[in-house]
Amino acid sequence: MAGILEITNSYRKGCGMTLEEALHNNRYKIVDKWVEYTLSTYQASDFFRKEKDSFANPIGGTIRDSLKKIFSMLAKNEDASSFREPLSRIMHLRSVQEFTPSQAVAPLNAVKHITRDVLASDKETKALVTDLYDFEFSVDLALLAAFDLYVECRERIYKIRVDEIRSGKQILTDSACPSKALDNIKAIKR
Amino acid sequence: MSVAKLEQLSQSVVQDPSLATGAIPTKDWMDIPVVFKPGDYAYPAKQDKVEYLNSQKGLNFPNAREWSPEDDDWKLPENWKEIIIDGLGERLEKFRSLKIFMDCCVRCGACADKCHFFLGTGDPKNMPVLRAELLRSVYRNDFTLAGRILGKMAGGREMTIGVLKEWFMYSYQCTECRRCSVFCPYGIDTAEVTMMLRELLHLVGIGINWILEPASNSNRTGNHMGLQPHTFKDNVDFLAEDVEGLTGVKIEPTFNRKGAEILFITPSADVFAEPGLYTAMGYLILFEHLGLDYTWSTYASEGGNFGLFTNNETMKKLNAKMYAEAERLGVKFIVGGECGHMWRVLHQYMDTMNGPADFLEVPKSPLTGTVFENSASTKMIHISEFTADLIKHGKLNLDKSRNSHVKATYHDSCNPARAMGLMDEPRYILDHVVDWVEMPENTIREQTFCCGSGTGLNTDEIMELRMRSGLPRANAVKYVEDKHGVNMLSCVCAIDRATLTSLMDYWNPNVGVCGITELVGNAIVLDGETRGELDEGLRTMVF
Repeated sequence: MAGILEITNSYRKGCGMTLEEALHNNRYKIVDKWVEYTLSTYQASDFFRKEKDSFANPIGGTIRDSLKKIFSMLAKNEDASSFREPLSRIMHLRSVQEFTPSQAVAPLNAVKHITRDVLASDKETKALVTDLYDFEFSVDLALLAAFDLYVECRERIYKIRVDEIRSGKQILTDSACPSKALDNIKAIKR
Repeated sequence: MSVAKLEQLSQSVVQDPSLATGAIPTKDWMDIPVVFKPGDYAYPAKQDKVEYLNSQKGLNFPNAREWSPEDDDWKLPENWKEIIIDGLGERLEKFRSLKIFMDCCVRCGACADKCHFFLGTGDPKNMPVLRAELLRSVYRNDFTLAGRILGKMAGGREMTIGVLKEWFMYSYQCTECRRCSVFCPYGIDTAEVTMMLRELLHLVGIGINWILEPASNSNRTGNHMGLQPHTFKDNVDFLAEDVEGLTGVKIEPTFNRKGAEILFITPSADVFAEPGLYTAMGYLILFEHLGLDYTWSTYASEGGNFGLFTNNETMKKLNAKMYAEAERLGVKFIVGGECGHMWRVLHQYMDTMNGPADFLEVPKSPLTGTVFENSASTKMIHISEFTADLIKHGKLNLDKSRNSHVKATYHDSCNPARAMGLMDEPRYILDHVVDWVEMPENTIREQTFCCGSGTGLNTDEIMELRMRSGLPRANAVKYVEDKHGVNMLSCVCAIDRATLTSLMDYWNPNVGVCGITELVGNAIVLDGETRGELDEGLRTMVF
């Protein structure tokens, strides 16, 4: 299948643009829409979209930065393992925010629809839509990786919770108070 | 967005509109009710803790009972509304600041995007202006002419159970870090609004265990942990033994010693929990190096003051014990360890609550002769002020290379930075003991981001909430980790040391957390030491 696609890609369609070129040329447009969609899942989406300083706006900054990296990898058909770092940053965010698991990963899938839409809306790239199989398969792989990362993050949270309890701080709330324990001893003696 | 499949995608995963679930709000903020789910609220205070606190002279913690925020019925007293409105009226009379903060906000929005809870959740009710509005709307309705006549049109709303639940949700999603206040053109201290909300909630028996149990422990045994004198002493002795194991120098700290020149008070977490105990080892080494005439107290064995997170009476009482002990022991002044909110209480409230401490002397360093005029009334100085002055006068024998395994950055702990202006002393110390870099400008000094778990929110049942609210801080740490290879986040607050550890575990697992005095202690060359190569400084395991 990949072989056929290569041949198809190498056979320049329309005005002679390859899919890779089309994705590259439209990267800002696609990533912008992807970021906008992802940030629209937050109530304060306006602020997250507008503020460009990533220290003043860590959610907006992280999402923009990571999606940009992921898109560039998807467009180059890179190995799914390379998505891990930017995907992990997004999943770290979304797995502790108040999303259901499907809500947390769903925006990743959006890039399929956005890319199709962007390419289809331009007559120079319209014909390339039929060549998106490999690109979309990469998105599927990224989405699967995102599920794993989501669970990894949740498991890390559980571990941190246990570590906190083990560190001894539970004496603050969960243990019997020492003077009360002394009372118990007295009670037994009596 | 007009892509049909995208709309379907959204619909397939987005459920009913609710705050922070990603759905688009369809109603005015006043009309969106709060929903309590496990993980987004801290556990209510245990009945026996509330009963105990309520039985104490001068304290008022009524309506002790078993209850859950998830239940419809919070088992409030019948006249709860009257209690709240009267309580608000009483506080408007008593605290001029509250009255001003209720009246003078022009909703300019300067604070809106400055809160770490807002930045980490995207929940509009976490904008400081809106959090204050939760109280202000009731104030307008019941205490202003316009509100009485025009009601909702004038931004007023009636006090209902729904409003009360909203208060509980959002006054415990504020760490009173005061970052928003830095940006407010009127200087509205939103932390004080949160403090008032919590005070009012306590009047009808709404409080959380992570705050009330440490407060009751502190009242009873002198520290949050509920450690009794012998246990506290044993822990400090144990740390002194550890120092001996590492350096070969025997340290014999004294306790409750009358006539000592200085009383040293630090958060009890420093003598009990990692990584704070390395900071406590640092104190022991520093004082030994100086031959300081000081004593620990097993009664004033807590720097922290969880009263600050409950009500002013409890805060006053817990603060008073430090001074009562200083007077009993007959010390000249107090040196305070690396704590956060202890310093807020000390610098902003102590003097009017329990001061001036006329029975003590204005702190004067016995080694350099420096007089700390800034503490002329409270008679208590911060360990970093004390240490920076020592370094300035060349009184410490430091070997910076002992911290060569550390590449540090510095987190300005909210209260020392914003409530007492302690910003340059820790940096001056760091310059002399370790290689370190600053985080980005809009995340440090007055603009520092909170650890996300202050004001008694450092409890594990709200871990996700803590991770979201700590995001802005973690994000800045990640930047210096990536760019400069930072592996240690230093700070001057015990809550920070505990909570940033968890925060780093989640966001930046290669970055550790330490107190400044740990780094100082590690760099000090003690007389007569037989210290070997310690790859991890005071954290090295020696067998």
